[in-house]
Amino acid sequence: MNFGLFLQLLVNGLMSGGIYATVASGFTLILGIMQVFNFAQGQFYMLGAFVTFGITASLGLPYPVGVLAALVAMLILGVLFHFAVIQWTLRHGFFHTMLVTVAFGNLIGQASLITFASQQQVVPPVIHGTLNINGITISNGKLLVIAGALIVMVALYYFMKTKIGTAMMASAENKDVAGLQGINANRIFWVTMAVGSGLCGIAGALIVPVLGASNTMGLDIFPRVMLVILIGGTGSMSGALLAAFLVGIIESFAFQYVGTLNLLVVFAFAAVLMFFRPGGLLGKPLPIPGD
Amino acid sequence: MSKTAKLTLLGILFLILMAAPWMLNSYVLQILILTITYSMLGLAFAFTLKVGLPRFDIAGWWAVGAYTSALLMQKAHLSFWLTIPAGIIIAVALGWLIFSVAIPRGMMVFLLFGMVIVLAVEQIVGSVSFFGGWGGTGMLPHPTIAGYTIIKKPDLYYMGLFFLIVNILIYYLLYNSKIGRAWNAIGSSVKLANSVGINVVRYRMANVLIGNVFLAVAGSYFVAYSSVVAPSTFSFPNSVNIMMYVVIGGISYSLFGPLVGAAIITFIPEYFRIAKEKEPIFTAIAIILIIILMPAGVIGIFDRRAIPWFKRVRWLSWFTNKAKES
Repeated sequence: MNFGLFLQLLVNGLMSGGIYATVASGFTLILGIMQVFNFAQGQFYMLGAFVTFGITASLGLPYPVGVLAALVAMLILGVLFHFAVIQWTLRHGFFHTMLVTVAFGNLIGQASLITFASQQQVVPPVIHGTLNINGITISNGKLLVIAGALIVMVALYYFMKTKIGTAMMASAENKDVAGLQGINANRIFWVTMAVGSGLCGIAGALIVPVLGASNTMGLDIFPRVMLVILIGGTGSMSGALLAAFLVGIIESFAFQYVGTLNLLVVFAFAAVLMFFRPGGLLGKPLPIPGD
Repeated sequence: MSKTAKLTLLGILFLILMAAPWMLNSYVLQILILTITYSMLGLAFAFTLKVGLPRFDIAGWWAVGAYTSALLMQKAHLSFWLTIPAGIIIAVALGWLIFSVAIPRGMMVFLLFGMVIVLAVEQIVGSVSFFGGWGGTGMLPHPTIAGYTIIKKPDLYYMGLFFLIVNILIYYLLYNSKIGRAWNAIGSSVKLANSVGINVVRYRMANVLIGNVFLAVAGSYFVAYSSVVAPSTFSFPNSVNIMMYVVIGGISYSLFGPLVGAAIITFIPEYFRIAKEKEPIFTAIAIILIIILMPAGVIGIFDRRAIPWFKRVRWLSWFTNKAKES
């Protein structure tokens, strides 16, 4: 493999890794703090892409407005989802909330299939041209996605350092003790849902100039997010970040050799990793077999 | 309900199911056959839920059974009945290989592994040309029994009913044996079960592998009534939907919850069929409402042990108290 191909595959991997990191950190936040296994996460990502498509391609507004609109729309949808649906099932346990998110994901998927036709919707690229390093060309659009994902990650890091972020982490650690310190669990829950969905919206908005918006992208990204959570360790934010880039890069390089079976290579990697690090890359090994 | 009343009710239900082919047209019979298949899958989900593990790999093992049967019938010209044990052996052997990694790592890893298994199986059978590709295998031969070809809808329905009843009987015996009590203990608390000397990993492994046996049989039955086996049947969303049958029927009713849930979930879309492409939206809303309003499942509201969410609503609690007295 020559250096040019290597660099291009690396950029592809980092780009998809950045998107996986954004979606998976939202997923892991919701899973860790609310104990909700959110199946609708992929569909929120898809809706974010479609909102950006509507703002930039249909209305003709500039791209940053589209990103902001996707963020705000998904924040609002996340809060609505929490108050209309999740809130009522939280007390019944893990499976009830999980099932409700499955049904809600189906609802969003079918609604978007009716509204936007099943073909891919294309958004004009934000940055034209390519970066040229010693005759190796890399599209600027992909670099923009990586930069955007990194900015989102840094913003999320500083958000988790604020008062509400600390309260969220405390609530994830132990809900009862956090409650004794005066942290309102219900408020934490809807904020978590909003942040988790908003991250998906941004991810969708970031990827849309490169790949376009399609109805299947939510279903496509969900297995990757699962692999990221598996490799990074459940409930670990930094692990999810590391694993996301790892999954993106492995997937990108495997595509070069085995084509569409590349997900199996990532799966094999995850299975081998489970032998040596049962708790994921950065997670702690579980003390007893079970829950 | 007393034991006699329960047995009488079961007998009446059995007679109704036996008489169904004479009363219903072949379209409804086809939906009933689907319901039977989904019931078998739901039973396997509820079976492994007993030990506190949610299975999302159901469609994967279902596919293993179906593809083993289909390929052996098509390429090796084996009899349908011989392909069932072959499917069972492959499902259990592969399951033992994969789950010896996943089960000791706990519930969340098992859940994620399951999802990945479904996707991997779908990718493999779709991409490798030996399995027939994304279009599915060609036309499959029908199963025969003593020279008689099972091809008519009522015959297939009775065959499915036979499989389902055998499934339920074996599950019933397992739940009431020593191993079933150990599973119950693990389901209530893993730590407690560990402390009284139950080897959690081994009992969970036994449970999951026995579940694989039933899933492989369900796959073979799918081959018997479907003339083509295609990867889209065993997709990830289908596998997740199996959880719905269990939760909607009632998560604590391992034997009859999946049956009721499968019947409801298979028939709800039929009622919304007039809405055409909006049908999945209405189905999703109906499911969300059922889960919010009946957390103990549809059986749960008929059962006195269940405490529904709406018990505190006055006019509804009058109704539930009435049910309690009877």
